[in-house]
Amino acid sequence: LSTLMPHGIGDDEQGYDLDLFCIPKHYADDLEKVYIPHGLIMDRTERLAREIMKGMGGHHIVALCVLKGGYKFFADLLDYIKALNRNSDKSIPMTVDFIRLKSYCNDQSTGDIKVIGGDDLSTLTGKDIIDTGKTMKTLLSLLKQYNPKMVKVARMTQSVEKYIVGFEVPDKFVVGYALDYNEYFRDLNHICVISETGKQKYKA
Amino acid sequence: MACGLKIKDEESGYNKNLFCIPKHYEEDVERVFIPHGLILDRTERLARDIMHDMGSHHVVALCVLKGGYKFFADLLDHIKVLNQNGDKSVPITVDFVRIKSYCRDSPTKKISIIGELSTLNGKNVLVVEDIIETGRTMKALLAKLRDYKPKTVKVVSLLVKRTHQSSGYRPDYVGFEIPDKFVVGYALDYNEYFRDLNHICILKEKAKEKYKI
Repeated sequence: LSTLMPHGIGDDEQGYDLDLFCIPKHYADDLEKVYIPHGLIMDRTERLAREIMKGMGGHHIVALCVLKGGYKFFADLLDYIKALNRNSDKSIPMTVDFIRLKSYCNDQSTGDIKVIGGDDLSTLTGKDIIDTGKTMKTLLSLLKQYNPKMVKVARMTQSVEKYIVGFEVPDKFVVGYALDYNEYFRDLNHICVISETGKQKYKA
Repeated sequence: MACGLKIKDEESGYNKNLFCIPKHYEEDVERVFIPHGLILDRTERLARDIMHDMGSHHVVALCVLKGGYKFFADLLDHIKVLNQNGDKSVPITVDFVRIKSYCRDSPTKKISIIGELSTLNGKNVLVVEDIIETGRTMKALLAKLRDYKPKTVKVVSLLVKRTHQSSGYRPDYVGFEIPDKFVVGYALDYNEYFRDLNHICILKEKAKEKYKI
């Protein structure tokens, strides 16, 4: 399974200087490095879209967005899938749904996960599902109850092999591209490493 | 109150063969009503207008799912560009509400909320919606939001329909004002279909039969 490693050699050198990119002024002191620039995320996502479409059967797909952190990746991934649908010989209808998993406080996983929202999940029976989000185990066991045909999980960043993975990252707490630190940084385009200043400033 | 880009009653949109449409909808679409690129260009300007008014304090952008998700994502992208490139910038946090309706034509709406909206307390809230028809849903949502005591609430809607059944409600920011036609695409659905179409389009009558529940 191929994934992309962030630029740099060794965990500590990875990432780019903030001054090489455009960052919202209000986060200027709160970030350490740009880890994965937005354009790179988009290019990788374009390829993920292609892999996903190849791997799904010819049936109706339900794209399940895991809020809130999954919303950017979801929107961009679906845009690329839609572009494939418009421009190739075959295309597959796609419907969407949204659920919420709440599990993090500051940068620690509390381990306690709540699933909220979504349509009656029995509508997933017999459909293929693409799932975008950060915390998977609970969600996958929940979905299994509804006997979907196939469940593929597209993760933006993770190092678990059974998923379709955008980027493999070391164990750093990353923010941006809808990934938050106590709700902040979702409005940052690039995936970045937060600075100590940022962690203190936006502490819960 | 804003008017938005006004699309007249006589305007029937564009020939779909002038654009790219997903193959699985080729037989279902009658006309392309508002092309995707035009939606984005208008949204870029809405972002600027909104930041001009609200850009001095932290904004909570509230997405009305499911139909609002595309407009929400694109609007926020444009706001982020302004934040990245302007002299001043303002933090935006996000939240999501879901409005479940029993049937596409039913006047009664049930508002079901995902997440804890206690975070809206004391904040400047921007509600991001896809379409306003009678205005009743938005009025119900705004009444519910008031319980959480936000500081201010503004509403931006991509589309506002000119309809006899209007309750008179108008949002603070409007993308396009459209005639009373049934439109799909750009996350607006017909029984969950057509959200995966990027232009706003008009359906053929036989398509309504095909995707009927």
